[in-house]
Amino acid sequence: MADELKDVFSKKKKLKLMTHVLAGYPDLKTSQEWIMGLAESGADLIEIQIPFSDPLADGPTIMAANHLALKNGITPQKFFELAWSIKGAMTVPFIFMTYANIAYAMGMERFVSLSAESGASGLIMPDLPFDERNFDLFSCAKKYGLSVIPVVSAGISSSRLKKILNRTEGFLYITLRVGITGAVKRIEREGLEFIQRVREMTSLPLAAGFGISSEKHLDLLQGKVDMVVIGSHLIDLFHSSGLSAVLNFIKRCKARTRRDRTRSHTYHHGIGRLSQG
Amino acid sequence: MKRNKMKKQSPNSSHRYFGEYGGRFVPEMLIPALEEMERAYFFYKENRAFQQELDNLRRNYSGRPTPLYFAENLTELGRGCKIYLKLESLNHTGAHKINNVLGQALLAKKMGKTCVIAETGAGQHGLATAAVCAKLGLKCRIFMGEKDMKRQYPNVFFMRLSGAEIVPVKDGAKTLKDAVNAALKYWIEHLKDTHYLLGSALGPFPYPVMVRDFQSVIGSEVMEQLRKCEKRLPDVLVACVGGGSNSIGFFYPFLHNKDIELYAVEAGGRGPEKGENAIRFGKNPRTGIVQGYRSYFILDENGQVLPTHSVSAGLDYAGIGPELAYLYDTGRVCFDSVSDQEALSGFQILCREEGILPALESAHAVAYALKIAGNFSRKEIMVINISGRGEKDLFIAARELDAENWLKFLNEETENG
Repeated sequence: MADELKDVFSKKKKLKLMTHVLAGYPDLKTSQEWIMGLAESGADLIEIQIPFSDPLADGPTIMAANHLALKNGITPQKFFELAWSIKGAMTVPFIFMTYANIAYAMGMERFVSLSAESGASGLIMPDLPFDERNFDLFSCAKKYGLSVIPVVSAGISSSRLKKILNRTEGFLYITLRVGITGAVKRIEREGLEFIQRVREMTSLPLAAGFGISSEKHLDLLQGKVDMVVIGSHLIDLFHSSGLSAVLNFIKRCKARTRRDRTRSHTYHHGIGRLSQG
Repeated sequence: MKRNKMKKQSPNSSHRYFGEYGGRFVPEMLIPALEEMERAYFFYKENRAFQQELDNLRRNYSGRPTPLYFAENLTELGRGCKIYLKLESLNHTGAHKINNVLGQALLAKKMGKTCVIAETGAGQHGLATAAVCAKLGLKCRIFMGEKDMKRQYPNVFFMRLSGAEIVPVKDGAKTLKDAVNAALKYWIEHLKDTHYLLGSALGPFPYPVMVRDFQSVIGSEVMEQLRKCEKRLPDVLVACVGGGSNSIGFFYPFLHNKDIELYAVEAGGRGPEKGENAIRFGKNPRTGIVQGYRSYFILDENGQVLPTHSVSAGLDYAGIGPELAYLYDTGRVCFDSVSDQEALSGFQILCREEGILPALESAHAVAYALKIAGNFSRKEIMVINISGRGEKDLFIAARELDAENWLKFLNEETENG
C-alpha cells in the first residue's frame, strides 16, 4: 500500500474526509483551484475523477459535469499535465478515479504507471471488477506502488466480498446506497447495516459515500467508518453558489468531525429520524 | 427454482467471453443481479415447462414461425442468386425484437420481478416490451432518447397505449446509447423488483448469450424452412447490424457451416466523416470497454464515445455485440455498409417489387443484398432478414420521398381538427 494512504488513517479515531473533484470541470483552471482549495479546507484525501463520456456509476450531477468538462476540452493528457503541475504543492494525498475505457484506451499499464508518476496514491475504477480476464488491475497497481480502492455495496455475496478484501490494501469504499452517485436527503439503514457487516469481516479502513449532502450525515457515520466521501453534493453546491460554497461546506464538515465523539454516540439509535434533517 | 439444479458458475471468467470480447464490466453493485439472471437463465434454458410456455407465446401471440418468402421479382432485379426474405416483420409488434422480449419477460416473471424496464432506439424493442408486459401483467417503463422519440413518434404513441411509461432521455445525443445508459442507471437504483430487458445482444454477460439464444429462433426457422422448400442450406445470409440482435440470431445456427457467407450491413449514414455514420468496422476500428462489455465502439483516441448518425434509429448506436466483434476478428462475418440514401432506395425497391414495406433498418440489408446478388449464380440461395416492418418510418420516409403530398395531408388533418 502507498505510505500516504497509511498516514491518512494513522490517527485512528477521527473521521476523515475524502472529497471528490472532477478534473476539467468546469474548466482546467477552476478544477485546479478546486483541488488546492479542498486540501486547504480540510480534506484528508482527494479523489480526482478523469472525465468519460459514459460514466456508468454516476448520477445526473456528475454525468452532466463529465460532459461539460469534455466539451471544455479535458483529455487524459491534459489531466496528467495538471496532476504533474500540482503534485509538488499538494499537502494531502490524492487518488484517481475513472472508468475502465479511459485506462484501456491508453493501455492499462501505461495508465497505472502515469498515475504513479503523477503522484497518485491509489486508483478507483468502478466498472472494472476484480475478476475480469486480462484486466488484473490489482497486480498491475501493486507493481507501481498504488492501491486499488474497490467500491462495494450491500447485496454483494460474502464469498465475493472476501475475495475483494483479500486483494485490498488501502481502504474499502462502501456505498451507502445501492444506486448511482448523487446527493440524497437521508442515509438509509441498509447502508449502515452493510457497514456493520463489512466491519465484522475486516480491519481495513472503511470509507463510506454516495449521497452525503449534509454535515449532519457525518454524525451518523462517526465511529462506524474511518472516512466519508463527499462528491455530487459539491458539484451541486458549485453549480448553485460557486467554489467558495464548496470549500465552506468542507470546512464545516471538517469542524463537525472534530466534535466530541461521545456526542455522536447518542445519534446511533435515531438513524432515520436524524438523517431527515 | 431448485438450487441444486442450477448450473454452477465456472471458476474463471472465460465463459463470459467470445474471444477477447464480452465480459461483465459493471460496478460491483450490479453483479448480484447479473449473477441471479445468469443462474435463472441457464436453469430455465433446460426447463421443459418454460420452453413450452415460450413456444406457445411465440406461436399464438407473436405469430411464429414467420414466413420464409421467395422474392421472385427481387431475384429478377438482382440478376444473380435466388433471393428469399425471412419476414420477421410479420411478428406481432412488427419486428424480431419480440423474440427476445418474450423470453426475457417470462424469465423476469420466474425471477419474481414485477417491473420491467427497457431502452429503445427505433421504438421496436420498446413496443414489443410494452406489449408483452401488458399481456403478462408486468409494469413497464421504456427509456428512449428525445431525438428518437421525435423521429419515431408512432411507436411512442403505441407504447403508451399499451400502458408503458416512456421516459425521455435528454443526455448526450439523446439516442439509443443514452437510453441504454439511463436504463442501466435506473436499474442500479431498482434492482430488487426490476428486470432490465436489454434489447440487443450486448451489454454485460449474460445478456449477449441470452439475447442471442432467444433470437436464434430466426436462423433455426430459416434452416428448417429452406430444407422443406429447397432441400438444402442457404449460400448467403444478409442482415443489417446495429447492436446486432437480428443478425446474430439469424446467423448463429449457420456459424459452424463455413461454406455459408454471412454479411452484416452497418449504417453508412451521410458519409464516412466523423459523426455522420454508425460504422464500427471502418478504416481504424477501435475496441473499448463501454456499457458493461468489451467490444468495438466508435471512439476517439482517448476512449471517449463519439456521436453517431443513421437515418434509422435502430442502427444509430456506437457499439456492437461482443460475439459479432469476435466474428469480425475471425473473418467469419463480413461487415460492410450502405448509406442513408441507399437504404431509402432499398425501402422503395422492396415496396415496388414485392409490396413489402421494410423498416429502414432492414432496408439497409435489402440495398446491400441487391449490390452483391450479381456475384452469385442462379443456383445459389440468398436469404435477407427483413428484421422489421416500415410503418414506424412513415414520417421519415414521407419527408424524404413524398414531402409535398404529406404536408398537404397533414395540413388538412390539422384543419379538420
